Amino acid sequence: MDFDAIVVGSGISGGWVAKELCERGLRTLMIERGRHVNHRKDYLDFSPPWELPNRGLVPEDEIREHYPIQGTSYAFNEGTKQFWVKDSEHPYSTPEDRAFHWIRGYHLGGRSLTWARQTYRFSDIDFSANKKDGHGVDWPIRYADISPWYDRVERFAGISGASEGLEQLPDGQFLQPMELNCAERAFKERLEKEHPTRRVTIGRCANLSEPTEEHIKLGRGPCQLRSVCDRGCGYGAYFSTLSSTLPAAQRTGNLTVITDTIVESLDYDHAKRRVSGVRVIDSKTKQRRSYQARVVFVNGSTIPTAQILLASRSEYFPDGLANRSGAVGRYLMDHVQGVGATGHMPGFLDRYYYGRRPTGIYIPRYANVTEDNSAQFVRGYGFQGKGERPSWDRGIDQIGVGVDLKQGLRDPGPWQMVLFGFTEMLPRADNRVTLHPSRKDQWGIPLVHIDCTHGENDLKLAAQAKQDALDMLTAAGCENVRSLFPHVSPPGSTVHEMGTARMGRDPETSVLNAHNQAHDVPNLFITDGACMASSGCANPSLTYMALSARAANHAADRLASGEL
Amino acid sequence: MSVKDQKLNRRAMLLGAVLLVGGAAALTRFSRSSTAKSARGPAFSADQFALLEQVTEVIIPVTDTPGAIGAGVPVFIRDLLLNWGSEQSRAEIVQVLEAIEQRTWSKHGSGFLELPDSQRLELMRAYDEQSVTGHDPAYRKFKQLVLLGYYHSEIGATQELRFELVPGAWRSCLPLNEVGRASAFWT
Repeated sequence: MDFDAIVVGSGISGGWVAKELCERGLRTLMIERGRHVNHRKDYLDFSPPWELPNRGLVPEDEIREHYPIQGTSYAFNEGTKQFWVKDSEHPYSTPEDRAFHWIRGYHLGGRSLTWARQTYRFSDIDFSANKKDGHGVDWPIRYADISPWYDRVERFAGISGASEGLEQLPDGQFLQPMELNCAERAFKERLEKEHPTRRVTIGRCANLSEPTEEHIKLGRGPCQLRSVCDRGCGYGAYFSTLSSTLPAAQRTGNLTVITDTIVESLDYDHAKRRVSGVRVIDSKTKQRRSYQARVVFVNGSTIPTAQILLASRSEYFPDGLANRSGAVGRYLMDHVQGVGATGHMPGFLDRYYYGRRPTGIYIPRYANVTEDNSAQFVRGYGFQGKGERPSWDRGIDQIGVGVDLKQGLRDPGPWQMVLFGFTEMLPRADNRVTLHPSRKDQWGIPLVHIDCTHGENDLKLAAQAKQDALDMLTAAGCENVRSLFPHVSPPGSTVHEMGTARMGRDPETSVLNAHNQAHDVPNLFITDGACMASSGCANPSLTYMALSARAANHAADRLASGEL
Repeated sequence: MSVKDQKLNRRAMLLGAVLLVGGAAALTRFSRSSTAKSARGPAFSADQFALLEQVTEVIIPVTDTPGAIGAGVPVFIRDLLLNWGSEQSRAEIVQVLEAIEQRTWSKHGSGFLELPDSQRLELMRAYDEQSVTGHDPAYRKFKQLVLLGYYHSEIGATQELRFELVPGAWRSCLPLNEVGRASAFWT
């Protein structure tokens, strides 16, 4: 055997698996399809706007030609362009009338470099939702199973946040929370008074408000309040594979990383019921080879992970590896986005803030938790938001030129509140990733075909979230309250893809067991978003981290005991 | 997705709108070596560039800090239209300049560059009000580039407004006069 373990992918979940396996003494190979990225050296975080050639703008023709999908992402700009794929080089297919926005980056660290760093625990309300209302299959775990692992990953990653004592949003191991600003404090006070069932808290985020010794040992420093996180952070102040899990794995001496290497499929040995090899293609030379290990973790992210399984056909798994259930590629979910509102908050004109806080406010789910909406829909939604005083950009849409304009923009504008809904999406079999029957990429790998739509319940939730955003701003005393979006965004837009190799209790209806281990292939584990049996309404990355750490330690235990 | 990012997204959307179809502008002596890699000619004729300079200076004049020309806004827009703008964006910006010039001729019987400062301001005030009220997309893009060019220049960001590359701290609720001016950053 070349290695004890192979981890496919270097994003948030792959990084965690590699760290845990290496720390357990396993010789681990991490395979990344994209290029190498040097922590610090390759980031543009110390360039002020006037040092970027186009002040942050990516050329319009370049977007049209190479980034028509990636360019729709909020985080796509001149400072982050290197962390997004060229759509022109990495095509996928969708039905003509059903767009799916697949936003991704192929490089060491994956989307852990560009993520929005919002970190929320799932609760037992989430883990028991499928069982309760019958959508999807029952999660094979409950909160108690994952809670200690949330503790572990939070301590290591460094999560700033405030404890709230809410059933639907369990507290965690938090670093000091970042404070609400003046307008947000008023918003919180007024909203909670008008709606005692609702809560406003500071956004929990993976930014080091105060590093611990463990963080400092890894070379990480405190957040400098720059808010250029998605360019990469030279201070290592937010959690990414490159700032955190990779150096932790590397210092064990057990990690080997190869980049520019695309995993095409997995070999299966039916006699031993094991993955027997990982087939790869060198993305530059297009040479094919394979690697062997005792255990294989696929963490390619939700869609590529399904792609790899579907491409791994054998006599015993004619529809794709570990796909006896037929669930591989199905039950694709995202969070519904394109729901939000803004309003002007009167007053506080003599108050301002200093620094650029890298998080906002959060309103945890209340629908069907502290309020009963069961007649309308199942599940719920949460909101991210913030209060701020707009800067010079407000001048674009204001009448005025000359000294008046210039003097007026010297002060910050009046306070503006904004709320964005994040809506749970139900798992539905028709929302599906398949392999395209004829089209292939430049390496000869069949393209993924993504067919995904929002369902009736998803859209009902989004419609209510849209109305609630308007109502909450009004209730908190905002004026000129208006919706921000005419309609919801295509699925995928939230970049929270989940569900294509779901966990479950029954091998007939699910792919993975309670330890993210394939029911039918004991040495195959999947701990990226593919494993999710439901989507909740909270940002899912923290849950991937906890499941990854848990599954990696389970695998290490089984290897040690000889069961694997 | 964080809210700060949503805000940035707004910027991307604003600048992503492409609305008109137009042809390449004429070649002029303003061609520079740094633009030689572009297959296209420069965005402006010499006359257009002179007009661009004076129009942007009316929008952001010298006060106790430099104005648009002093902060390099016209050069920024010229370079941006070569390195960033599509043919359509270039046409839109040229169209705005032409509209201003036409308006000046029909109102004053001379070109914008011949007008005294007070009449330039008066004319631009009226044109700005009409264009903002009428949601003219070409003018919106133009004004956005002028403001971006100014407030994200080193002069605009650090002399006119306030910019900290590394704030180092979050102070959530302070008297405005303690903080000083608006932060040049988008958030």
